[in-house]
Amino acid sequence: MHEVSIIQNVVKIVSEKAIENKFTKVNKVSLKIGELSGVMPESLNFAFKSSIIDTILEGSTLEIEKVKAIAECKDCEQEFPIDHFNKICPCCNKFCSSIISGYELYVNTIEGD
Amino acid sequence: MSEIKVVTNILQTNDEITSKNKKLLDEKGIYVINLMSSPGSGKTSLLERIIAKLKNDVNIAVIEGDIYTTKDAQRIEAQGVPVIQINTGGACHLDAEMIRGAMNALTLDKLDLLVIENVGNLVCPAEFEIGEDIKIAVLSTTEGNDKPLKYPLMFEKSGAVILNKLDIIEFTDFDKEEFYRDIKSLNANADTFETSCVKNQGIDEICSWLMSKIQNKKLEVK
Repeated sequence: MHEVSIIQNVVKIVSEKAIENKFTKVNKVSLKIGELSGVMPESLNFAFKSSIIDTILEGSTLEIEKVKAIAECKDCEQEFPIDHFNKICPCCNKFCSSIISGYELYVNTIEGD
Repeated sequence: MSEIKVVTNILQTNDEITSKNKKLLDEKGIYVINLMSSPGSGKTSLLERIIAKLKNDVNIAVIEGDIYTTKDAQRIEAQGVPVIQINTGGACHLDAEMIRGAMNALTLDKLDLLVIENVGNLVCPAEFEIGEDIKIAVLSTTEGNDKPLKYPLMFEKSGAVILNKLDIIEFTDFDKEEFYRDIKSLNANADTFETSCVKNQGIDEICSWLMSKIQNKKLEVK
């Protein structure tokens, strides 16, 4: 349960960015969360609601975009979807450890006035 | 209303400190292990065995992560190696800032191996880089062979997996074949070991594997 500490980082990053851009209010925060990151959107939503009180983010909505897990085979250079338990290249049938997306955890955009 | 592109890693602060930790540890040629498992799987017992076997050949230090108490640190201290206790006071994992603090309290010169024993937890420690060369996951036979599938991230990110408490496997329904199949599906490149700390079995294999890792790290520096 470290979703709270993740959201506290989000509030810090967004607050700094909002002040830098002379926002008086943030209306929406969009995150990109990789499928393999192990972070639960439901828990993030819960933590967000309680962490934004008395901040420039108060009243804003949280949007979470899931990022698909993709690997790239070193041998045949093919990109293919993976999950935790299947990282076998469909082309050459080899285990692939070159994961190009799926572990993302970042603030993508913010909207404000 | 306007939209602004931020594109900032949420764990940016942790990752920045991780890089600094790693840079310093790399410069000193210290091989660093992030040792992770659920509570009671035998991380500290394994460490006691490994330290006893290696301490005459290499300089070892340990950072002990626990929510409360110094019980594990006392066990390591009894082995005669430097140990720094981190009490997270409730937090479920160690982060880079805590490690930086502990590193400041250690004499890093001449150190060959730094073992960071993370908080007993199969979930959160896997998500925070702290400056390690390798993550090692320990699973004990009594926990059941289904754990890699139930907690995939930890086993996926671990470069080595140790199956402990092998001496009592016959009293459990642990299915080794299934376990290795699952580990391979998560990370086919992971090295695997089987140990019994009570019987002191499998420790030699881990120690010789560790020695080659430590030597390789030294060579990288030179």
